[in-house]
Amino acid sequence: MSTATIDDVGTDRAGDSPWAVETHGLTKRFKDNVAVNGVELLVPRGCAFGYLGPNGAGKTTLIRVLLGLTHADAGTMSLLGYPVPHHRDRALARIGAIVDEPRFHGHLTGRQNLQILAAAREPAARARIGPSLERVGMTQRADDKVSKYSMGMRQRLGVAACLLGDPQLLILDEPMNGLDPGGMLEMREMVTSLVAEGRTVVLSSHLLDEVERTCDAVAIVDRGQVIRQGPIADLLADSAFELQIDCATPERARSLLAGTPWGAGIAVAPDGLRVALAAGTDRGVVAEVNRLLVEGGIPVYRLQEVHASLESWFLEVTTRLGANG
Amino acid sequence: MTTATVPATPAPGLPPSGPGRAAPDRRGSWVPNGAMIATRFMELRRRRGLMAALIVVNIGIPVVFLTFRLVSHAVDPRSYGPAGGYEIFSTMVAGVLFVFGFIVAATLGCTAGSVDLTEGMFRHLVVTGRSRLALYLARIPAGLAVIVPLVAVGFAIVCTVCVVAAPTQLSFQGVNVPVGLSQPAFESWAAGHADEVVCSFNFDLGPNTGPDSTLMQAVNSVCGDGGGPAAVTGGPGTPAATSVSQAQIEDAARQLAQINYSDYSGRFLTPPLPLMLKAGLWLELYAAVGFLVGLGLSSLMGQRTVPVILLIVLEIVLTPLLSHAPIAHLLNVQRSLIGIAVIHLEPGGLPSVFGGGNGGGPQVAEVTESTTFAVCVISAWVVVWTALGAWRMVTRDA
Repeated sequence: MSTATIDDVGTDRAGDSPWAVETHGLTKRFKDNVAVNGVELLVPRGCAFGYLGPNGAGKTTLIRVLLGLTHADAGTMSLLGYPVPHHRDRALARIGAIVDEPRFHGHLTGRQNLQILAAAREPAARARIGPSLERVGMTQRADDKVSKYSMGMRQRLGVAACLLGDPQLLILDEPMNGLDPGGMLEMREMVTSLVAEGRTVVLSSHLLDEVERTCDAVAIVDRGQVIRQGPIADLLADSAFELQIDCATPERARSLLAGTPWGAGIAVAPDGLRVALAAGTDRGVVAEVNRLLVEGGIPVYRLQEVHASLESWFLEVTTRLGANG
Repeated sequence: MTTATVPATPAPGLPPSGPGRAAPDRRGSWVPNGAMIATRFMELRRRRGLMAALIVVNIGIPVVFLTFRLVSHAVDPRSYGPAGGYEIFSTMVAGVLFVFGFIVAATLGCTAGSVDLTEGMFRHLVVTGRSRLALYLARIPAGLAVIVPLVAVGFAIVCTVCVVAAPTQLSFQGVNVPVGLSQPAFESWAAGHADEVVCSFNFDLGPNTGPDSTLMQAVNSVCGDGGGPAAVTGGPGTPAATSVSQAQIEDAARQLAQINYSDYSGRFLTPPLPLMLKAGLWLELYAAVGFLVGLGLSSLMGQRTVPVILLIVLEIVLTPLLSHAPIAHLLNVQRSLIGIAVIHLEPGGLPSVFGGGNGGGPQVAEVTESTTFAVCVISAWVVVWTALGAWRMVTRDA
């Protein structure tokens, strides 16, 4: 059993990988059910990374495997460059995580719960209890019993627990659960500030709007497999988009554009004309549409590209896969 | 895709991590640190319901019982004997503290072994990267730091009352006798109180002593037909009372004192200090074993209720049942019960527990085993349950 000290976490060459999380062929089975199916995941350091998927897609199971809460049946993985489970203690020394709903000893105060967790970490963690509570806005309620906390307060306490280890990587499973709009805003700001400090934050969530606002990159998981991953902007750039046209005579404009290659996707809406354009359509099309309308004598007041939201893209991707499956 | 590799900087207000600080971080080690033990102790100590139950059983029951006896004796000393003394001490130790000490210790162990799982803290602890074995082992000193002082306090109260409120005279077989006499002094005292001794002291003359012996004649002469000691087992028939001299009666009293001296020498007004020390250690041993077994069993099962029920059934049903008589085909099973093994280590001078024990009481162990075997059984219970609990803790999905 390893008894090596791990003070050199920050300087160990094993921790120099550009990836905060790296998995290859990671598989986890529960009898006949393959919850994590050959997952290939690369999470770059220093970003907010969303891990998205429908219910039962295997999001929480993957997190549990990564953190050593359950074993993998196949595949390799590394956290902050440390291969796990071989160097699990070194990796986890710089990781904070909330898995599922954050639960604590209800008969103890928030501060006392953090004392228990800090005792299991490095000695310096005990000095971080106060600052961590302050950072999540829990100082005033830190000495109340956790049994009196709301769900949102327990979420905050969970984040404070993550911060005890001064983590390079935070893995937050559904951190917005139970938070009111104000709490969600605070959580979003906190994630942003953590990333600004150079930390990596992996968010598992089904709140796509929140993920889109918070994260730089995402991975979409469905039926245990990662089906798409990359920066949000790149992923959405590959999706279909819409051209909204505010013009004087929408009906006449529709007739004028009907004979063009993109004429099949034209519809008149209350706020003007809408032209659906396929993924990968060149932006020159926008200028071409404008030219045709102007030359046709139709005054154009506004032309706007409207890209798909993460939510609509997510639904499109997962629905298509569902249909294929 | 973003590939920034900016090293994490400490959050505002958070002390920085990384090399260069004094205290080493040995979280891969299976040895728990002092802070882990201290916080586990705090977690257990702050369970009000559990602590109240532990205090009520370990301290409350003896306090209520002894208080009742103190008050009763103060109000009506003729009807109610003293609250303290050797007899009360031995009864409380062997009859109450032994059994209930194990049960509350086992309950504490079951709580310590399962609450992290049931209350969702296990995941948080595993994610710290700390060795799961260290997380398990930290509970042992923490739990013992709770139960050992509680048992000690309850026991100390019993000892204190039994010493302070001890009777002033020793009642031996219905006769008030001075305490601590040597055998010649005891025989001399018996000669001086010949009538009382002859009529009250037990004796066993054996089959070879005829009914016309001097002793039997003295008994019959002083006590008359139907009188005499409670356990006359002399020869057959009882002769009519004959004239016996005072010297013969005194001689008979000396003889009876000689017969009963070994029993008398084990009676005290107050429990002797060595006996109290041994009894205290014996109770602590059983409580510690109960805690460790409860800890291992509940860690193995991942819950508290069923292990608590199982251990209570073991302690108050199975152990008394199986300790009363040896069963030919189950003798080794009987010997391997933790309660029976611990009973065999009972200090001499205490009455038997559940009818077993090799102490100074009137009963001897029905299920016999050597002290070495008993020690092996106790060690095996502790090691096996601790190992099983630790193994499950290490392999369990969190």
